[in-house]
Amino acid sequence: MANPIEAQGLRKLYRSRLGGRTVAALDGLDLRVEPGEVFGLLGPNGAGKTTTVKILLGLTLPTSGSARLLGLPAADPASRRRVGYLPEGHRFPGYLTARQTLGIFGRMSGMDATALRARTGALLERVRLERWADVRVRKFSKGMTQRLGLAAALVHDPEVLLLDEPTDGVDPVGRREIRDLLQEEAARGKAILVNSHLLSEIELTCGRVAVLRQGRVAAEGSIEALTAKTSRYRLVATGVDESLLAAFRETGATVERVNGHFDLGARDLDHLNALVDRLRASGGRLQELTPVRSSLEDVFVGLVREGAEKEGGRS
Amino acid sequence: MKALAASIEEVFREASARWTLVAYFALSSLFILVFAAAVNLDIVDGALAGARLFGRSIDLGGRSVDVDQLVLGFESGFSGFLYLVGTFLALFATAHLVPRLQEKGTIDLYLSRPVGRAPLLLSRYLAGLLLAAANLVYLIGAMWLIVVWKTRVLHPRFLLSGVVILFTFAALLAFAFLVGVVTSSTGVSLMTTYALFFFGAVLAAHDRIAAAVSTDASARSIQALYWVLPKTAELGQATVALVAGKAAPDRLAHFNAAGVYGSTALFALVSLAAASWIFSRKDF
Repeated sequence: MANPIEAQGLRKLYRSRLGGRTVAALDGLDLRVEPGEVFGLLGPNGAGKTTTVKILLGLTLPTSGSARLLGLPAADPASRRRVGYLPEGHRFPGYLTARQTLGIFGRMSGMDATALRARTGALLERVRLERWADVRVRKFSKGMTQRLGLAAALVHDPEVLLLDEPTDGVDPVGRREIRDLLQEEAARGKAILVNSHLLSEIELTCGRVAVLRQGRVAAEGSIEALTAKTSRYRLVATGVDESLLAAFRETGATVERVNGHFDLGARDLDHLNALVDRLRASGGRLQELTPVRSSLEDVFVGLVREGAEKEGGRS
Repeated sequence: MKALAASIEEVFREASARWTLVAYFALSSLFILVFAAAVNLDIVDGALAGARLFGRSIDLGGRSVDVDQLVLGFESGFSGFLYLVGTFLALFATAHLVPRLQEKGTIDLYLSRPVGRAPLLLSRYLAGLLLAAANLVYLIGAMWLIVVWKTRVLHPRFLLSGVVILFTFAALLAFAFLVGVVTSSTGVSLMTTYALFFFGAVLAAHDRIAAAVSTDASARSIQALYWVLPKTAELGQATVALVAGKAAPDRLAHFNAAGVYGSTALFALVSLAAASWIFSRKDF
């Protein structure tokens, strides 16, 4: 069976208006999202997240490489038959009511009137807009518009969801509801790609993420795997004096005394074991040594900085 | 098909919710009211009453004119005026269709649905034509009914003027779509299309202009432009000739030629094809 979302070697070059400078928005991007998975796309501004989504939807044509949705080329309109999309900063026609909006966009996705009527009521209830069903969209708050956008993306019960900043402008309760809704859809086998700047949301929603940097995937994996890559440990031990700490630092380790324990930074596992040997050799006793898990934000910021340093080194 | 019908419905919903359509129909209503008031003047009433009493002719400056002929002459002359008003109003009401579709935050919503870009664009074009047709039926139909009510003269050829106006509008709208796809600007689409209308009208004198220019190349360019661009002046005359029918003066008869319609239709097709081609390849 074909992957719901697949991109291989995607490149997108933008030429400046006068035809001189060329900028690579994507530079050989590979991506795959499985059924039942909520996949997060992260990256700083200009990393290529939106370009990736736009290529997947056929809104932008790639310079090279291939993008497929449910096994069909992204440029083929039929590939979007089972795809729902929530764009960032979307502008639904303000003169339509919520019900009319779902009606128009549901029919544009090929739904017939009977199925649409049944689906619209249930969906508006699901995004808590049932009382606003017949109110014009121009009267909606940002959060309500966002929830309507989600309903419009789901109206034809798609197998693939592409969501750009889905919780943008939504209050904390609404955010929680959207997260729950995405988890429910994933549990029903939907493949969901979430593009967001809100790392905490991604951390809570997605099982796997890819961090884009300069048009490429800089890191990819489950959130657990990405945040487990750590070099920092919480150390609790007796018999640690200033001379031992100085000796640790001489080896290149970082060590700080924090509220009754030590925050220890080692290069790798060998370095860590050498530090523990040193502690024991000096008569100290180890009570606790726990890896400190990084947050997704730590990983993200680390990757972005690493990229900026590499870029600086090159220039 | 469902998708395209939804796209057309959306255009109509937009039109009914926005002031442009209200203004479009309000202006048409204003023309109808002014026309109704004009034919209700005492002098018209008196002349028509006299015609009813003393036969089917009216004395105009010592010359006896048959009422039927008078109505026919009036309707054919007035259709020329309607040609100008109808085309301009229709363009004003529909030039935004592409620029508004291409707005950031809007275009993504449409293109992310399983609809090809060219069919999406053509559905908007069709919606524009339907809107204009609805207004023309209202404007011309109402005026025709007023004339029938006032004169008891039934002359259905007047309704044919709507067909030529719609044809001309279709050609100009295709060009407005092309400009709209390229520039995403309603203002630029309107300005360039109105300019095309006037330029096409000026080129009706292509033979005289070509004779007046100094080089052969310029003369050939003028002739080529004439055959490439829509024949807006000729189509206006053709409207008058079509309504007048056999009573049309000889000088107007040749305007209803296949070349006038054919070259204008070709211009529309090429404009629409170019608009679809560019729209299909555009990055959003």
